[in-house]
Amino acid sequence: MSNIIDTLINDARVWQARQQKQTSAPAESTGFALLDEHLPGQGWPRGALIECMPEALGIGELQLLLPAIKRLTGTRQAVFWIDPPHIPYAPALARAGVDLNRIIQVSTQSRQDHLWTLENCLRSSATGLVIAWPDQMKRSDIRRIQLAAESGDSLCILFRDARHADNSSPAALRLKLAASDPQHIQTDILKRRGGWPVQALKIPITPVVTIPDTTTAQVIQGPWPEQRH
Amino acid sequence: MLWLYLHFPYLLLEHFSQSDPEPRPMALISGKPAKVLQANPLAAAKGVAPGQSVQTATALMPDLQLIPADLTEQQRILRQQAVWLYRHVARITLYAPDGILTEAGSLCRLHGGLEGLWKTLESELDRRNLTAWLACGHTPKAARLLARTRQGQCTDDRQVLKQSLRSIPVEHAELDPKATERLQRMGLQSLGRIFQLPDRELARRLGPETCLGLQKLVGTAADPQKEWSPPAHFHRRLDFAEDVEHTSGLLFPLQRALQELEEELRWRQHSTDTLEIQLHHRVESATDLPLRSTAPEHRASAFLALLRLKLERLELISPVIGATLQVERFISRHTPAGDDLFGESDSGRDEAWQHLLSRLQTRLGDGALRALSVQDDHRPEQACQYQSIDTAKTGAAMTRHALPRRPLWFLKAPQPLVHMPLEWLAGPERISAGWWDGERIQRDYYIARLHSGQTGWLFRDVTGGWFIHGWFG
Repeated sequence: MSNIIDTLINDARVWQARQQKQTSAPAESTGFALLDEHLPGQGWPRGALIECMPEALGIGELQLLLPAIKRLTGTRQAVFWIDPPHIPYAPALARAGVDLNRIIQVSTQSRQDHLWTLENCLRSSATGLVIAWPDQMKRSDIRRIQLAAESGDSLCILFRDARHADNSSPAALRLKLAASDPQHIQTDILKRRGGWPVQALKIPITPVVTIPDTTTAQVIQGPWPEQRH
Repeated sequence: MLWLYLHFPYLLLEHFSQSDPEPRPMALISGKPAKVLQANPLAAAKGVAPGQSVQTATALMPDLQLIPADLTEQQRILRQQAVWLYRHVARITLYAPDGILTEAGSLCRLHGGLEGLWKTLESELDRRNLTAWLACGHTPKAARLLARTRQGQCTDDRQVLKQSLRSIPVEHAELDPKATERLQRMGLQSLGRIFQLPDRELARRLGPETCLGLQKLVGTAADPQKEWSPPAHFHRRLDFAEDVEHTSGLLFPLQRALQELEEELRWRQHSTDTLEIQLHHRVESATDLPLRSTAPEHRASAFLALLRLKLERLELISPVIGATLQVERFISRHTPAGDDLFGESDSGRDEAWQHLLSRLQTRLGDGALRALSVQDDHRPEQACQYQSIDTAKTGAAMTRHALPRRPLWFLKAPQPLVHMPLEWLAGPERISAGWWDGERIQRDYYIARLHSGQTGWLFRDVTGGWFIHGWFG
């Protein structure tokens, strides 16, 4: 019995759900092997909407995108940041090896402008990646963006508040990000194409500080001398 | 030498009807009390005729558009015709208000004979819906007279031209009115009869001025012409017969002007990135509508797309009676290089990129798009600079590794730190700079992990307060 199954498997006459990572959906590698393994097409899906829902800022959420940003700007594709909550800090991006010439920050005044900008960026062949921080979005808006994303061949990542995680969404990939230990970011894949949700993936990221500085603690704890020049 | 004269009998009427999507009855009026001077075919069909009073004309046709005849206006329109004419002929002299003289003899070879030139001009006039009476002549005056009396022929045969000149009645010969009257009283009704008379006798009886005029006509006296040269910039004025109250109504006439601009740019082998459009109102001062594209462009369709975006957001303060399109900035064109057979290249992507930026900038405004750049400064605020996308150039003076460790998120204004952090990761990094330009800072920066799991960039300033200045996103 097992002999027959082995033969079937060896002849590749039986499709196994395990092999789904070999799907040919166009994707852009995330740069993180563990995450790639769990994503259809081995990376961020192109021409589809991706929703990221970090529980807070500063948990390493941009680190997840950095390898892709670096690769796209390197091939002269544009990366748009639409209405980011804070300033994307140029020195940090430059340090990570990102070509700043292809990074454009767009600030819009209204929801209509925001949607319009997103759609236009996605439809252009010059765009590699669009990262947007929408204020509030109706389901129909997300559907509209999903359609715009499908018409282009670029990556589209929406950052939304973690409270939207329980609502359903037409996005192709939905990630919930949470803080873990300093070396990891905890990622829940809430929705993906061709697969079940995955809970609590611990994706290793480059820690901000590689070796914890033992002397730091001493320097800080003491009351600072008041006499300053 | 052979001259070609173009007489535009209905210049003003045709100028006004150019801005209309469909023809409508119009009449040119002037004088006090106002009388009809000219009527376009649509109006003439209903019986509107020159010489009628305005009351009669409007009674015949209630929806008749009345346009006051304005000579200075007409001169400006005439210059617009000279601009396109200049592409086909070399030497142009303006005969305000309704004629243009060009030298044709030297252009015959270029256009494949006089017929070629004639046909080119006629098709160009047709395309612009303009009526012009053309005539050739061996002197400027002869060409003008033949054109104005509509006896123009496409020929350079001296005998034929002379023959038609002879038949012109004296009153159309543009002589001094007194001289004309005297000649008529003498029984000399056509120019042919006058040419038979000896010059000396004519000068004695009619005065030297009239005699000189006649000599210029036949070519025995020199008739120097003042040449017109095209302006360095593009200027197109549109006038609407009826006030335009909605922005959508502006698209049709402006599209026409943009197409003319495209032709002009193609002819000059230039591109432009700045269009100045002005909308004129009856009382209020004109509305400026600057149109900018991020990259040099010459296609009307590209400008039209930007214009459409601009007009969508425009609220007219009052009805528009006319518009001007002006371009002063011309940029010479570069041929895109490095295209492979399938058009897959950087230049194609660059074009899409510039196109996208133009669209975004037009809709969102100039300040909405910003590029990032790194500055060589220790102060965190100054190290990252925004640039408008036009001026953004590579500021990669610093190598990657020379850059200090910085957070990806930078807060516009530092937030006060409420709770002590969970774990200190690095620091202090003292930044004390800016004493030279009045924006002095003196801070100790730390990297710390907060209880919420966030990694922040904190600082303590001289007053001892703790602030969050960035997030390691």
